[in-house]
Amino acid sequence: MKNLNRPELNKSSPSGPPLESTRGGPHIENSRDAIHVKHSPSESSDERTYPPGDVALWIFILAELLVFGVFFSAYAFTRASNVELFNTCQRTLDTNSALINTLALITSSYFVMRAVAAIREDKSQQCFQWLLAALLMGFVFLVVKSGEYLHHYDAGINLRTNLFYMFYLSLTFFHFMHVILGMVILTAVAIKATKGGYSAAEHTGVESGASYWHMVDIVWLVLFPLVYIMH
Amino acid sequence: MAQTFTKSMARNIFYGGSVFFFLLFLALVFDTESGLPQSDNRAAITDDVARGKLVWEQNDCVGCHTLLGEGAYFAPELGNVYKRFGNSTDAIKAFIASRPKEGVPGRRSMPQFNLSEEDLNAVAEFLKYASEINTQNWPPSIQG
Amino acid sequence: MKYQSQAVAKPYFVAAIGLFVAQILFGLIMGLQYVIGDFLFPEIPFNVARMVHTNLLIVWILFGFMGAAYYLVPEESECELFSPKLALLMFWIFLAAGALTILGYLLVPYAALAELTGNSLLPTMGREFLEQPTITKIGIVIVALAFLFNIGMTVLKGRKTVITLVLLLGLTGLAVFFLFSFFNPDNLVKDKFYWWWVVHLWVEGVWELILGAILAFVLIKTTGVDREVIEKWLYVIIALALITGIIGTGHHYYWIGTPDYWQWWGSIFSAMEPLPFFMMTVFAFNMVNQRRRNHPNQAAVLWALGTAVMAFLGAGVWGFLHTLSPVNYYTHGTQITAAHGHMAFYGAYAMVVLTIISYAMPMLNGRTAANSGKSQVVEMWSFWLMTVSMVFITLFLTGAGVLQTYMQRYTDNPQPFMVVQGRLELFYWMREVAGLVFLVGAVLYIISFFVGGEEPEQA
Repeated sequence: MKNLNRPELNKSSPSGPPLESTRGGPHIENSRDAIHVKHSPSESSDERTYPPGDVALWIFILAELLVFGVFFSAYAFTRASNVELFNTCQRTLDTNSALINTLALITSSYFVMRAVAAIREDKSQQCFQWLLAALLMGFVFLVVKSGEYLHHYDAGINLRTNLFYMFYLSLTFFHFMHVILGMVILTAVAIKATKGGYSAAEHTGVESGASYWHMVDIVWLVLFPLVYIMH
Repeated sequence: MAQTFTKSMARNIFYGGSVFFFLLFLALVFDTESGLPQSDNRAAITDDVARGKLVWEQNDCVGCHTLLGEGAYFAPELGNVYKRFGNSTDAIKAFIASRPKEGVPGRRSMPQFNLSEEDLNAVAEFLKYASEINTQNWPPSIQG
Repeated sequence: MKYQSQAVAKPYFVAAIGLFVAQILFGLIMGLQYVIGDFLFPEIPFNVARMVHTNLLIVWILFGFMGAAYYLVPEESECELFSPKLALLMFWIFLAAGALTILGYLLVPYAALAELTGNSLLPTMGREFLEQPTITKIGIVIVALAFLFNIGMTVLKGRKTVITLVLLLGLTGLAVFFLFSFFNPDNLVKDKFYWWWVVHLWVEGVWELILGAILAFVLIKTTGVDREVIEKWLYVIIALALITGIIGTGHHYYWIGTPDYWQWWGSIFSAMEPLPFFMMTVFAFNMVNQRRRNHPNQAAVLWALGTAVMAFLGAGVWGFLHTLSPVNYYTHGTQITAAHGHMAFYGAYAMVVLTIISYAMPMLNGRTAANSGKSQVVEMWSFWLMTVSMVFITLFLTGAGVLQTYMQRYTDNPQPFMVVQGRLELFYWMREVAGLVFLVGAVLYIISFFVGGEEPEQA
C-alpha cells in the first residue's frame, strides 16, 4: 500500500533498521534537543522518511501482522486436514456482505491516502474531510459485519460450534476489533487535524494513523479470500 | 534523515494495546463462561463433591499432586485417578486410609491424614467428579 | 542517597535477602526428598516444604518490589516519601504476618491451620501458591493498599516520570488481581480458570511492568543514557508484554475443562511472549553499550544485564518450549514445567530484585555510589555461581522432564508415575548438587556487602 502512494521511496530509504534510532547517540544530547532535531524545519516535506509514521507504531504493526500471519497459517493447516467441513461451512457465509466490506475498506484506504496527500500540501481541512470519509467507510464495514454476526448469533453459531466457525469467528472478530481500534486512531488524528495540529512539515501522526489503517485493510484483503472464497 | 520514534506514540500503544487486548480477553472469557456448562461437569457437583473439594484444599493435596496437571510434581496426577483405579471410589478411599503413619523407609509416602469416613467419602467423590470433566482427552495416558 | 526517606527501603531489602536464603534452604530439603523419599518425614512432609518454598519466594519478591519502590520513587519524584513511618509500620506488619504464616505451616498440620483460621467461613486455602490462611490474604490486601497509598501520594506530590507511572500501574495491577484469590467456587474448572488471573496475570502481566520499571531505573542511573530514550523503550517493551501476555493466559486453559479454542488462542499469543523479553535483552545491552559514564558499581550493571538475558532464557525460551498446545499436551504438569518455573522466576523476578538491591544497598549503607572493588569481585562471583547453577538446575530438570514425558506418556507402554520417578534419580541428584552451589552463591552475595574497603573512583 505504502509503495503505491510513495514511488520515490527507494531513493530515500538508506537508513538502518528501526533499532538504529536508539543508537543515534550523537544527535540526542538531551530530550529537548532530540525532539528539536526530529522536527527541524530543514527537513522538507519532500524528503520522506522510511518507514512513514512513527517507528514505535511500526513495531506494533509488525507484531500484529505476525499474529495474523500465524493465525492465517494455522487456518490453512487446519483446513488441509478438514477440507470437507471447511467447504460445507464456508458456503453458509455471506460472500456479498464480505465483498461490500472489502470495497468499503479499499475505498477507505484510498481516502486515507488522500488525507495524507492533503496534509503534505498543508491542507488541514481537506485532510480532515478525507479522514471523515474514511471513517464513514469504516463505519459501513462495522454495520455490515455486525449484520453478519447477528445472523450467526440467531443461527446459534459460536466459537464452540466447530473448528471452521472457531477460526472464522476468531479471525474476523479479531480483525473487527482492529477496525474499531483503527477508527479510534483515525478519529483522534482527524480531531487533531481539524484543530490544525499537523502541517506539511510535521504530520507524523497522520502517517502513523494511515499506516495502521492500511495494515487493517491489508489483513482483510488476505482474510477475505482465505476465509470466504477459497474452496 | 531522522526517524520519528516518539515517547507519546510508544505510550499510546501501551495504553491502547493493553486495553484492546484486555477487552478481547474479556470477550473470550465471556464466551468461555457460556460454554463451560458443556464441559465442566457441573451437574455432578453435589454437596459431597463440594465438601470433598474443601477436604482436598484443607489438606493441601495440591502440594504434592497435580490435579488436571496443576500443582506439585512430587506425586501422581489425580485428575484421572478414579479411572486409573478402575472407576472405583472404594479403591481411592482404601488407598488414602491405608497410608502408614511413619512413612516408608527410604521412599516417598503419602502422609496419614486421619480423615473421617465422611471426609474420605467426600474427597473420593470429588476425584470422581474431577475425572469426568472434559479435558480435551488430557492426560495422554492413563498413568497421568 | 538523595532523600532521607529512601532509607526505609533498607529493612525491606534485608528481609528480602533473609527470606531468599530461607527459600533456598527449603528448596534443598525438597530436592533431597525427591531422592530420599522419607527425608524429614513425617515432620516436614513435601507439601509443607513446598508451601514454604513457594510462599517465601512470593513474600521476598514482594519485599523486594516494595523496597525498590520506596527507594526509587522518592528519587524519581524528587521529594521525600509521603510517610516513612507508615512504610516502616507496614514492614513490621508484613514481616510478622509472613513469619506467623510460615510458622503455622511448619508447626501445625495444614488441616489444623485451616480450622484455626476459620477457613470454612471463606475457603481460600489449599490452592497452589495461595495456601495462605484467609486472614493472611486479607492482611496482604491491607498492606498492599497502605503501600499503594504511600507510593501513590508520593508520586502525586512530586515529579511524575514514566518509571514511577509504570511502577505504580504494575503495583496497582498486582493488588487488583490478587483479589481473585478470594474467589474459590465449588466448580473446579471455574476455580482454576480464575486462579490464573492471580498467577498468570501477575507473573506474565503486571509484574513485568514492575520488572521493566526497576530495570529502566537502574539502567538510567548506571549508564547515564538519556531518560527519553530509555522511557520509550520501556513503553514499547511493556506494551508488547501485555499484548502477548493477556491473551497468552490461554496457554493455561488447554486441559482444565475449558473450550478447545483456547488451544489456538493460547498457542498463538503465548508463542509471541518471548518477543518482549528478547527486546528487553537487546535494549539492556544497547543502553550499556551507549553508556555516557562508567558507573563505579559494575556489579549492579552485571545484574541488570543478567536479568535481561536470564528473563529471556527462562521466561522466553523455556516458556516457548512447552507453550504450544500439541507439545503441552505431553509436557503439561511434568518436570518441564518445574524447569521453566525455576529459571523464569530466578531470571525475571529474583534477579531484578537482586539488581536493585545491588544498586541501592551501597548508598543505603552510607556510601556515595558503590562498594569496594574487592566487594564487587565477591558479588560478581555470587552472580556467576547462582546464575550458572540455576542454568544447570534448569537443564537437569529439563532432562528429567523429557524422560518423564516419554516414559510416562509418550511411549506405547506408559509406566506408572512412581516407577518413572525412580528412573529419574540421577537427574534429581545432579539438580540437588547444583542447588548447593546456588546456596553458596547466595551466601557470597550477602558476604559481599560486608567486605569493606575503599570505593572505586567515579569514572
